[in-house]
Amino acid sequence: MANLSSFRTVRDVHSAFESKKISPVELTQDYLNAAKKSEIGAYLTICEDVALQQARAAEALIQRQGRVPCLEYPLLGIPLGIKDNLNMDGVKTTCASKMLENYVAPYTATCVSRLQKSGAVTLGKLNLDEFAMGGSNENSAFGPVRHPTHPDRVPGGSSGGSAAAVRANLCFGSLGSDTGGSIRLPASYCGVVGMKPTYGRVSRFGLVAFASSLDQVGPFAQTVEDAALLMDVMSGYDPLDSTSIPQEKMNTYAATQTAPEWSQIRIGVPKEYFVGGLTPAVEQSIQASLKWFEKQGAQLVPISLPHTEYAVSVYYVVAVSEASSNLARYDGIRFGMRPAASDQAKDLNDFYMKSRSLFGPEVKRRIILGTFALSSGYSEAYFQRACQVRRKIVGDFNDAFQKVDLIVGPVSPTTAFKLGEKSSDPLKMYLNDIFTIPANLAGLPALSVPCGIDEEGLPIGLHLMAAPFQEDRLVSAAHAFQNGSLFGKV
Amino acid sequence: MVDVNEALTRQVAALARLELSENEVKTFSSQLSQIIKYVEKLQEVDVKGVEPLSHPIDLPTPLRPDVVLASPTDLEGKPKVLQAAPEVLYDGFKVPPIL
Repeated sequence: MANLSSFRTVRDVHSAFESKKISPVELTQDYLNAAKKSEIGAYLTICEDVALQQARAAEALIQRQGRVPCLEYPLLGIPLGIKDNLNMDGVKTTCASKMLENYVAPYTATCVSRLQKSGAVTLGKLNLDEFAMGGSNENSAFGPVRHPTHPDRVPGGSSGGSAAAVRANLCFGSLGSDTGGSIRLPASYCGVVGMKPTYGRVSRFGLVAFASSLDQVGPFAQTVEDAALLMDVMSGYDPLDSTSIPQEKMNTYAATQTAPEWSQIRIGVPKEYFVGGLTPAVEQSIQASLKWFEKQGAQLVPISLPHTEYAVSVYYVVAVSEASSNLARYDGIRFGMRPAASDQAKDLNDFYMKSRSLFGPEVKRRIILGTFALSSGYSEAYFQRACQVRRKIVGDFNDAFQKVDLIVGPVSPTTAFKLGEKSSDPLKMYLNDIFTIPANLAGLPALSVPCGIDEEGLPIGLHLMAAPFQEDRLVSAAHAFQNGSLFGKV
Repeated sequence: MVDVNEALTRQVAALARLELSENEVKTFSSQLSQIIKYVEKLQEVDVKGVEPLSHPIDLPTPLRPDVVLASPTDLEGKPKVLQAAPEVLYDGFKVPPIL
């Protein structure tokens, strides 16, 4: 078995294929074996047959051509894991919920099929918080994911399986979804790169909806360079998603190939992101990272995002309202599980009640909260007001991006916390999302790149945000940081 | 300020077609009350004249031609959408008689 941690980038893997150090089938088999042996709970389904078939096809192509045709197949033979709220034809999509325990998807999500068409191998489906609702991956109906290096800790959520699997070498890269930080938070906690694109860049077709105005699919990888590569492949217009932006595929990978013109880059440092609450190790790492950018020649600009303190409130009204509406479809009639009790129901209402009892507590809590925020008599004070404040938050960013090119700060106030530490206090868990939520409310591209470790060796993530459609800037600065700074190499 | 008591929790849960146990009603009431108290913060913001924003991008709704397309089928010619059905009868979804 090959040492999987020796492959850091897709380029490394492709040159190993070409020099015959390892074949695509051997590589896939190694990852499958690692996935099967792992005890961190990252996988919910392993697709051995499909993966090996894809790997054999990649192998045949390389043999025929004598090289990796990486222009046509930029991800040829690269083993990826897919968050289990994205559909793959003929494979279960459980959303880590009892409700969808037996749901077999009849089609493949656009983002996944684009990866497959670029030659990627899809190893299986990764664990998450039920319906992507949570920040610790403790809300999975099939058991939590454990932190890949500190098993008593959480990996972050909701894409906990996606982050942990990349860090633990159970897949080369992976897909997650980000509604309020669900890619960037686990990326930060696990010490990998996680990226959320501008809203509308990546098709949501085949992503199980949580909050439709906030959800975006994005990649996890060990390097910014590979995250950019995955993004590029997935991006571009999809007529099957009515919120897909009619634009060409991105080419952010190119932005990693030239050094940033640092003297032209203004980095905004929001004062509201440094007002206490950060652990000393996080604060220190972020400050050191900012100094690094300054040393390269970038200009640090103090800015203000005055409505930051309302972001969590806006989010937990808007996201749950959209969720309560999106999750109304789970009625046990056309798909999903139908518990035995439903068949004894006395009327239609009772049937719904019995079927919907399969939701876990966090999902129920959010559906109730959302139903409340939208209900007659309360919707004006809650939902409508939250949408008004949302516009104010977007306004803060519009103003800020007049003055700066990037906004940099922490992903999370702390490093990975202990399993069970926050699970009985939902509000405490929600407040953990304070730095990641604003990007979703405004639809901004953002990423987390490793920037240090704390005294216990737990990774710390640096958060970069850019104006809509400025993924190039984001990727270029983050790539330079990861390769140039000492802290970027966790 | 709304008083989130057990009666309100029960009422909203019923609107959402969720059946809660006595324990759930108790726990959720106190948790929801805490969360709603927290989001009351929104009342501080001056939103006079601010148009609510429900979506981060401004796109027209694209329309496609109104054409019926065949449902994807499996190898036996059965609609694939039935693969996920809790119960199937011939080429349809089977439901209990109350429906």
